[in-house]
Amino acid sequence: MPVPAPLTEDQVYHGCPSEKLDFITTDDLEDLEQPCGQDRVLRALEFGASMQAGGFNLFVLGPSGAGKHEFVERFLSQHAAREPVPPDWCHVYNFRYSDRPTAIRLPAGEGQQFKKDLNDLAEELRTAIPATFESEEYQARIQELQEETAKRQHQGLFDIQDEANRNNIAMITTPAGFTFAPMRKGEVIDPEEYKNFSDEEKQLIESKVEELQKKLQQTIQQIPRLRKDVRARIHALNEEMVQLTLGGPIGELREKWSHLPDVVDYLDAVREDVVEHAEVFQDSENGPPVGLLARYRANLLVDNADTVGAPVIYEDLPNHQHLTGQIEHRARQGNLYTDFTLIRGGSMHRASGGYLIIDARRVLTQPMAWESLKRILLSGEIRIESLERLYGLVSTVSLQPEPIPVSVKVVLLGDRMLYYLLSHFDPDFLDLFKVEADFEDDLDRNDECYELYSRMIATMVRAQKMRPLERVAVARLIEHASRLAADQRKLTAHDRVLRDILTEADHWAGLCGADTVEASHVQQAIDEREYRASRVRERSREQISRGVVMIATEGEEVAQVNGLSVLRLGASMFGQPTRITATARPGKGQVVDIEREAKLGGPIHSKAVMILSRFIASRYAGEGELSLSASLAFEQSYGGVEGDSASVAETCVLLSAIARIPLKQSFAVTGSMNQHGEVQAVGGVNEKIEGFFDVCREAGEVREQGVLLPASNVEHLMLRADVRQAIAEQRFRIYPVSDINQAIELLTGLEAGEPAGNGEFPENSFNRRVAERLARFAEASKKQDDKGDANNNSGGSGSD
Amino acid sequence: MRIITAGAVAVTDTPANHSGPGAPTGRVLVLLDGSRMSYAALDAAADIAAKTGADVLGVFVEELNLLRSAGFGFAREVGSESGVSRPFGPAELEQRMQRLAEQVRCALAGAAARYGGRHALSITRGSVVDEVLALAGPNDLLVLGRAGWSSAPGVRLGSTAKGLLRRSPGRMLLWCDRQVSSQGRVVVFLNDHDDANRRATMAATDVVRHSHQPVTLLLGVGADIPPDHLELIKRDLGVSDSDFRVRTLPSTDPAAVAQVLRQERAAQLVLSRDCTLLREPGAEHLLAALNLPVTITP
Repeated sequence: MPVPAPLTEDQVYHGCPSEKLDFITTDDLEDLEQPCGQDRVLRALEFGASMQAGGFNLFVLGPSGAGKHEFVERFLSQHAAREPVPPDWCHVYNFRYSDRPTAIRLPAGEGQQFKKDLNDLAEELRTAIPATFESEEYQARIQELQEETAKRQHQGLFDIQDEANRNNIAMITTPAGFTFAPMRKGEVIDPEEYKNFSDEEKQLIESKVEELQKKLQQTIQQIPRLRKDVRARIHALNEEMVQLTLGGPIGELREKWSHLPDVVDYLDAVREDVVEHAEVFQDSENGPPVGLLARYRANLLVDNADTVGAPVIYEDLPNHQHLTGQIEHRARQGNLYTDFTLIRGGSMHRASGGYLIIDARRVLTQPMAWESLKRILLSGEIRIESLERLYGLVSTVSLQPEPIPVSVKVVLLGDRMLYYLLSHFDPDFLDLFKVEADFEDDLDRNDECYELYSRMIATMVRAQKMRPLERVAVARLIEHASRLAADQRKLTAHDRVLRDILTEADHWAGLCGADTVEASHVQQAIDEREYRASRVRERSREQISRGVVMIATEGEEVAQVNGLSVLRLGASMFGQPTRITATARPGKGQVVDIEREAKLGGPIHSKAVMILSRFIASRYAGEGELSLSASLAFEQSYGGVEGDSASVAETCVLLSAIARIPLKQSFAVTGSMNQHGEVQAVGGVNEKIEGFFDVCREAGEVREQGVLLPASNVEHLMLRADVRQAIAEQRFRIYPVSDINQAIELLTGLEAGEPAGNGEFPENSFNRRVAERLARFAEASKKQDDKGDANNNSGGSGSD
Repeated sequence: MRIITAGAVAVTDTPANHSGPGAPTGRVLVLLDGSRMSYAALDAAADIAAKTGADVLGVFVEELNLLRSAGFGFAREVGSESGVSRPFGPAELEQRMQRLAEQVRCALAGAAARYGGRHALSITRGSVVDEVLALAGPNDLLVLGRAGWSSAPGVRLGSTAKGLLRRSPGRMLLWCDRQVSSQGRVVVFLNDHDDANRRATMAATDVVRHSHQPVTLLLGVGADIPPDHLELIKRDLGVSDSDFRVRTLPSTDPAAVAQVLRQERAAQLVLSRDCTLLREPGAEHLLAALNLPVTITP
């Protein structure tokens, strides 16, 4: 297999020629209404937003910082503008069940008018009804009524008193009632004197007293009925007066709101309630109690007077209360009170008839919020209950407002992992969120995309009120977008990163006093971000340059190779070389992964070592037995190793250890390998190459060094300018390898050797030397085994 | 210590000293029988005493007729609310009277404590009207509820009030059972009887001196009071033009009078017992119909 040619400067970077951009600055470009390259999400949103059936809520999946929120909100705002405005809702007092405020639905914008009408009515009640009670007519009638009633009430008593007086018997008032006693000339006869009366006289008096007592008893016992009768008549009079007073205003309101039967019913209930409480309005000095008048007001829960189209609400703190609303309390002298005017709507109320955007992670981290959200979506109505009540922590009497029907399209924003976890673990999730809108991480980079991407940048620039970007600055940004996507044929769709770079570039342009953002400002923004995140990287490189961490960048060594690893710290990542070493001796066909043994290796790395172990066995041992006891280690690695990107390097170093053939230390190797020796793509190639380049430069002049990487990774290369410069000057080479033999030949300078028909490798080839050394291991093992068997046999016969 | 004796029973007293220098010439006598109305009258009396600095003399009379009525073997008491008839004996009545007297003493002490003035309580046995007349002097203000215990079954002008209405030597204030507004007007009824008018005006002057309420002069039918006299009355009352109004009564019918008083938002009515209103046959009906404090001058 021929050794591949090193990559040229053009192959390691996909530049953006400014000729492809047909503008001078971004001011020449129009805004982009739809983001480019997000057709899948757009179609999903179009479908989800238009779909009327239940459960077709949306989950917008995408990485954090992809601009999901802005995108979804912009899309929904445009979509919702074409939809009808949803109705207003208000809570009013429930005169039958005071703890269950009634909900009334009103056409959009009429809620405010209804509230105002009720306020005006309450105000009118406050003044008009007391005025009615103070009117001459009322006072005269009540006076007549009271006179008549008093007369009826007392007449009986007076009659008895008269009768008693006629019979010379006094009716005397006691603190608790009445008593009768014989009298003479207005004075009660002395009891001593009474004793002298004849029996006849006494009997006459006593029988009369007894008769009077009975009459009095009957009369008094009728008083409650008389009083009840009076109360009823007074109440009837009050009702009549209030009816007359209310007739006008309530009649007007009934006519005005005749198109809403619920409102008409409520107004009738108000009239009945006012009539029932007519007496309370009689206090002309203090007026009716505020609490009573408050019952005739409306609590406008949802006001869509200023809403255009369907509402699009973003709930930034989606906890239970904010979603479903809450019942507030007022503290009064250490006690908490509430009424229907303290019911507060939640974002579900406001979004009813429209769209509610929620961050999935936030709603999941708020107690009961996710369950409450699902409950509303499943039941189609909002029931306002406090969190304490839901948890059963309180059982005090509170309000239970009438549930309000809700029709809301919920749009959850979250990362993919959340979506898949919810799909797996929450049985309701897929019933409720049937529309999956998956955000593209990257966009295709082709000739058509340049204009769209430039317009997208121009839109961002204008939205952020930044200086316009010059064409070359946009070109640089597009190149960097490819680097961020780690692909020459892709551009990153990460909204946040691009916006941050733009903002920073604008800042640097501002410091320079420039009117436009130039390529140098974009580059400065990129470099500054790089520099700010470079402390750990520089400390790590320093360790290598000082020889604390041993990395050789020249010469040849047996059983030692430079692997490449990538470290991710926060938002930044960097690559660096790691020395991989191997040992080999006869054994039982084992390759010991020291990292795994030390529990520093991850499962993928272990799998890669097993693969290379089986590769060696199948390639070199053929049908014979592989006698090998080998070990692999990442030297001076203390933080754990994961991934299979070092399997090419590990294979080469292991084969070097077996055959005792040195490997060139001027190369670093990355790439994974399958059991047939084919080299497969890995991630982070740009960072790995640049990391090794930096180490080589710090070790001295960059000369003859290079990196072996999978050929399939070539299109992922977007290397730094200084690396490209070294490649152009052929001081640094990058070899795309597709087979392990190519890597072997580049690292050893020897022919790898293809097996002949009999399975043998050519003479003096690298593979032949590996096979021969393994054969010697096998012989050595066999001798060892024979000797061991002989010892065992002799020992056994001896014992026999 | 001052001891007042009357009728047949000795009487208690409290630290009041009426002979001290600078003491007001008149006292406030308040009739107490333990009924709700009498306690309302006590509060009114205490307020007046607080404003004028007068001493308060509570009068509690154990009605002789009542005591005697309990002495008959057949005597029974019919409950004013329940109508239930129960035995009524002297022992129970004595105990009840003692209890009431104690309650009255506490109420008087409590009311006096609020305004800090001097007070005394007279407990006598006999006829209420006679005992009160024996205690009251021409300079004393007599304060009593419109009805005592008899107000419970609905009587609106009790026998004591009726009895004292014509015979009180000094001013008499009949208190009512409703909350009295402090913002209403003091209505003074005048007619063509100059002396009566003068006494009523003086009483009204005493009322508004402390309360600063506006005043309405209510002129009886046919009353012909020259404007300069009205001006003098206004000056005596010490009220401004805006707080002074004169109205003429269309008739002396109790309903008409009550209507005018409502229109005037009357908080108190002041009139002389010699005036035409009280000379009419329906005077008692009028007083019964007016549920507001009424000051009656001799």
